[in-house]
Amino acid sequence: MIRYEPPLERYSANIREAVLGKGQRAIKIGGENTLPFHSFEGSLPNPPGLALEIRDTQPQNWAQWVLEPFEDVAFDPAAWAKKCVEVFGSEILCLRLVSTDPLGRDASPQEAAEITKKVADSVDVPLIVWGTGAEEKDSQVLAQVAQVCAGRNLLLGPVLKGNYGEIAKAALEYGHAIVAQASMDANLTKELNIALCKSFPPERIVIDTTASALGYGLEYTFSIIESIKQFALTDKDTMMQMPILADFGGDCWRTKEAKESKEQGILWEAITGLTFLVAGADLLILRHPEALRLIREMISE
Amino acid sequence: MILIGEDLNVMSKEISRAIKERNPEPIRHCVEGQTQNGMDYLDLNVGPVAKEPGETMEWLVKTVQEFTDLPLCLDTTNPLAMEAGLQVCEKKALINSASGATESKETMLPLAPKYSAGVVLSVINDAGLPADAEERASSILDSLAFANEQGIPNEDIWIDPVLLPVGVDQRQVAAYLEFIQMIPDLAPGAKSVCGLSNLSYGAPKELRGLLNHTFLVMIGRYGQHSAIVSGFDKELTRINGGELPEIVNLIYRAMDEDDMDIPSLTQKELEYVKTTQVLMGKTLYSHSWLEV
Repeated sequence: MIRYEPPLERYSANIREAVLGKGQRAIKIGGENTLPFHSFEGSLPNPPGLALEIRDTQPQNWAQWVLEPFEDVAFDPAAWAKKCVEVFGSEILCLRLVSTDPLGRDASPQEAAEITKKVADSVDVPLIVWGTGAEEKDSQVLAQVAQVCAGRNLLLGPVLKGNYGEIAKAALEYGHAIVAQASMDANLTKELNIALCKSFPPERIVIDTTASALGYGLEYTFSIIESIKQFALTDKDTMMQMPILADFGGDCWRTKEAKESKEQGILWEAITGLTFLVAGADLLILRHPEALRLIREMISE
Repeated sequence: MILIGEDLNVMSKEISRAIKERNPEPIRHCVEGQTQNGMDYLDLNVGPVAKEPGETMEWLVKTVQEFTDLPLCLDTTNPLAMEAGLQVCEKKALINSASGATESKETMLPLAPKYSAGVVLSVINDAGLPADAEERASSILDSLAFANEQGIPNEDIWIDPVLLPVGVDQRQVAAYLEFIQMIPDLAPGAKSVCGLSNLSYGAPKELRGLLNHTFLVMIGRYGQHSAIVSGFDKELTRINGGELPEIVNLIYRAMDEDDMDIPSLTQKELEYVKTTQVLMGKTLYSHSWLEV
């Protein structure tokens, strides 16, 4: 009898492994030498990282369903962080420094760094620290955060074309990783990584393509993530072999579908996240703990 | 390859002003410079010419012909300007351009047999730019049939597969390379032409020449007939004139993915190899493609 041998792809390249955080609860992402979930073809040493988002400021316009789980802690970032870890089992957190927005409260870098330190002290899981995307302000804020939280191996972002130099320098000096963000463009992603790698170790870079929600441009994000992964593995492009982050909670919960009902909102976020994992994302930032639970359940099967 | 100099262009402020003021001096400088640099044709890009289209093109063609004996490639979307120019061309002219889009083919193509001119025919059609080589083939076959019915022989048709910037869509560059190899079978006797500089649009200024030169060699190998190029680019005319055979040979080897002793290459040679790999679609383009 002739046995059927399914054809298998073998890739001779692999995605770099990035380490987030320090100590016992540090988390590794990336490291795979095959496409997502293709464990029959290669090795996927680390499950995708799933982070819950917290904020330095009580959210003003979140859908009630997504605020609900945090209502008792949303005014206190450290308490919010603790609840995410202890009650909702989050293994990574993303702290958004919303207060530093130059068009909003415009809080000082020092203030932002103190809050970050307080949050970092209250939990032992890896922490992603996110600015507002205002290039100049972020470079001051994230540099200050890097210094005040020296040695904690935070993941700082977003690092953009216009401010990568300052943030990368501080991250390097004080021992942190960074998220290089170029919006929906593989060529620009590569460009930024080349520029960063002149002075920054590639194994401490995570790629962010920016991401959109289901029904609101998800397919563009999917294609970009998918193509970056293929450039990395098939073309062995060393400047694309970084783990990929997808950050879409905000976009999901802004949709009218998510605002309509709790169940729909949670599913919207979970399905969006799962889709990006299938595309090749290695790290997700989520809003709703139930979406986190659903995704974790689906990928552990 | 036949080179068509592109520098007489209303996008240049100096040329635009000269045309407006009917001042022949800046035109003379531009025409003579490109002629001396070895161009075979000169492109006269006057844009859509909203004001006095006929009179403007007639003046420009007559003025240019005072300074050069080269044949002209009339580049406008305005059929009135096109016809006025064709009426005064002393040599067989080239109409730049018609496409497969209904309005374009119906207004521009009839001018070719009427004035015994050649015509640039692009693969664009009513649906826009075809996505890949096959769609280009199907689009150009339709347009060719239409052009032949108008009495234009394939020999007078200069097919433009449309070259997009490598920084915009690298797959379109690969589609271009695939498509030009199909032209002899699709349209026996027809010529091919492209806007070469468009390839490097958006790339760092100091590196545009490298992209353009490398691609010129690559498409030349695949049988490209002509290209609209920067008329003052001296290295380009040297490469096209066969003065740099070692560079051409190196690009061929990179196209064939020959094993090369990379450390033995000079900096300049390595740049050509890396650029060929990017243009073949083997390496993802970024503005810093030479730095990795």
